[in-house]
Amino acid sequence: MRLVIGYLYPSVMSQYGDRGNVLTVVQRCQWRGIEAEVDELEMGDRVDADRVDLILVGGGADAHQRLVCKDLLEVKGEGIRRAIDEGVAAFAVCAGYQLWGHYYRTARKEELPGLGVFDAHTVHRAAQTGTPLDTITRAGNVRAVGNLVVRWGEHLLVGFENHGGRTYLHDGSQPLGRALAGGGNNSEDGWEGCVYKNAIGTYLHGPALPKNPRLADHLILTALRRRYGDVQLVPLDDAPEIAAHDRAAEQALARTSLWRRLWGQGVA
Amino acid sequence: MHTGRATARIVAVSTGKTARFLSRGLKRGGGTTLPGFLAERIDPGLVADLARGIPNGCVLVTGTNGKTTTTRILVDALSGAGLEVITNPEGSNLTRGIATALLVHANWRKGLDVPPSAIGVFEVDEGAFRPAVDALQPRLVVITNLFRDQLDRYFEVDFVAHLWSRALGQLPASSTVVLNADDPQVAYLGEDLTAKVLYFGLDDRRRARPGREHAADSRRCPRCGSDLFHELSYYAHLGHYSCKQCGWRRPDPRFAAWKVDVLGLEGSRSQVRTPAGDRTLEVPLAGLYNAYNALAASAAAACLGVEPDLVQAAVRGAVGAFGRLEQIRLGDKQACVILVKNPSGFNEGLRLVLSMDGPKRLLVALNDNGPDGRDVSWIWDVDFEMCKGRADLIAVTGRRARDLALRLKYAELLASDGEPGAGRPPVPLLVEEDVVRAFWSVLEQTPPGETLYVLTTYTAMWTLRQDMVRRGYLVPFWRQSQTEGSVAG
Repeated sequence: MRLVIGYLYPSVMSQYGDRGNVLTVVQRCQWRGIEAEVDELEMGDRVDADRVDLILVGGGADAHQRLVCKDLLEVKGEGIRRAIDEGVAAFAVCAGYQLWGHYYRTARKEELPGLGVFDAHTVHRAAQTGTPLDTITRAGNVRAVGNLVVRWGEHLLVGFENHGGRTYLHDGSQPLGRALAGGGNNSEDGWEGCVYKNAIGTYLHGPALPKNPRLADHLILTALRRRYGDVQLVPLDDAPEIAAHDRAAEQALARTSLWRRLWGQGVA
Repeated sequence: MHTGRATARIVAVSTGKTARFLSRGLKRGGGTTLPGFLAERIDPGLVADLARGIPNGCVLVTGTNGKTTTTRILVDALSGAGLEVITNPEGSNLTRGIATALLVHANWRKGLDVPPSAIGVFEVDEGAFRPAVDALQPRLVVITNLFRDQLDRYFEVDFVAHLWSRALGQLPASSTVVLNADDPQVAYLGEDLTAKVLYFGLDDRRRARPGREHAADSRRCPRCGSDLFHELSYYAHLGHYSCKQCGWRRPDPRFAAWKVDVLGLEGSRSQVRTPAGDRTLEVPLAGLYNAYNALAASAAAACLGVEPDLVQAAVRGAVGAFGRLEQIRLGDKQACVILVKNPSGFNEGLRLVLSMDGPKRLLVALNDNGPDGRDVSWIWDVDFEMCKGRADLIAVTGRRARDLALRLKYAELLASDGEPGAGRPPVPLLVEEDVVRAFWSVLEQTPPGETLYVLTTYTAMWTLRQDMVRRGYLVPFWRQSQTEGSVAG
């Protein structure tokens, strides 16, 4: 078996150790004897919906988003939309997630059009409040920065968020899960991320996949099943992954209120 | 001065001084920031007013890496030239640290009690640079480099560059800005300034690699945003570059190290072309980045009119700031402590350790407290892969030790049974969150006469250092700085 990863804009949108996600998918395939290939799709490169099995895109600053947004729409847009509609797996993080919604209004209040894969839109908090970003303190006040823990089905996902944009899901749009620690999509409604078919958008950096092996395997499995039918993944020894996951979750949740943890369980 | 403000000034100064006295007396630390913090809260205009009283003005040094070392060399050069230097050598580089340094010399009425030969040289945090420029109105600014560092505090590399650019834009024609020509975003800061600009850089192709490495943070032309072409790179994104789109290119440095010989842990020797002729800089600190620091400091010292001989002497006498390749003798063994804060610095530290003779035993410490950066994702941009088959033992420690263990697993440095792979004798990987316990346990396994290399983030280094002071292997840093000259002169 072979898995082809389409890694979007590695030289522009890779700020927060995002290459760790790529490395994780590649290693977890190879440890199982599955061949993994990475197509680095920079500006100007199209996305071949028949070739890629999993699309990955990482984070970047407003300036980077401005830089890639035209290419994303005009060069890659058609291929990505077709791929997602045909069930290709995708994992879009932070800036990548924002540009896969309908639009992103930046801190300077310019509107960057998005792919519309996710039925959602994003507005920078500074654009909502009119805060000038002229000092570190002011810039910090409008951002959600810290550990992020998300309840995903019966599992917890752990990571780190660092974003000024607030993402709002439109009616009928499915979130990834509830934010037990951290702001998540918009620090208002308690939800984090978005899921459409086999595409996941999220603010989880960290990078997310090494410490959340279940999520990594979920992406690998959905990607392979589309091409090879009923695939089963051989379990790996995930002791270091689980140790890192549990410790990070424990440290992040230690600072979260009991009420919020219960709310995340669906109790309160 | 109004009576109200005068009272505030007296209260601020005396509170600060008392806090400093108490903090040292109670051994609660060096008292390097709290006094300034309190005084600033009581009287916000304090730093600006006190700084105005320094007869020879102020110098500010900022940048992601190398600011402490650069500041130290510059301070020594100026002291050697007979100036009385007021500085914040303890690495307390927010405005409150500068306030503390000034408070030492403050009197109750007029401001500062300093001789006519006094000059201020302050290291300042990237995020505090703009308020520091506002308050101190520096006559000279040195910017060493700009790397991705602590994104949870600074958010985006571009944002830091933007804040710096705004701050530098206010400087008058009488000020000078000393910039690293090899760092695209730093070099671009020199465009369209009223202040004079002086570039330093490396011009030795033997020290360079072709192209650009992964940890490069400036891949885009700062002027037009197109992909920047790196003809060669010294490390990370420092190198010779040009933009094929708009034609903007690396400015030619007036202080250019055209022959750099790297001499392992011994340091480096650079031949430097300067406007006043060729000079040799013998840098006793290891690593190419310290060659850069010495170059930056000597360019700045020359700008301030220090004789070349004195600059060379200051460089020769450079001592590492604490945790910057600090070598500590522990009985019949040695520890070499390297502070790591970001992917580019970490990669340089690893390269240096791996280039050493003898077995490489590494202890890597990762904390996620405020000063370390709460976001640990940057360890995935560190090229641990280079240790494959070259490191004899890697132990991990700190609050996020398990994140490190995971990173090493994906770098395939560990066999599945937790042993380092690649044909080395199997030594179990040690995962121990407690930094002190981890250190002594790995040191115990280190044979006599050998070195344990410790790569550590800020707060983990602190914990380790305090423990070594407690055991009598090191003197407290504030005493060290008194002998080395917090007020050198």
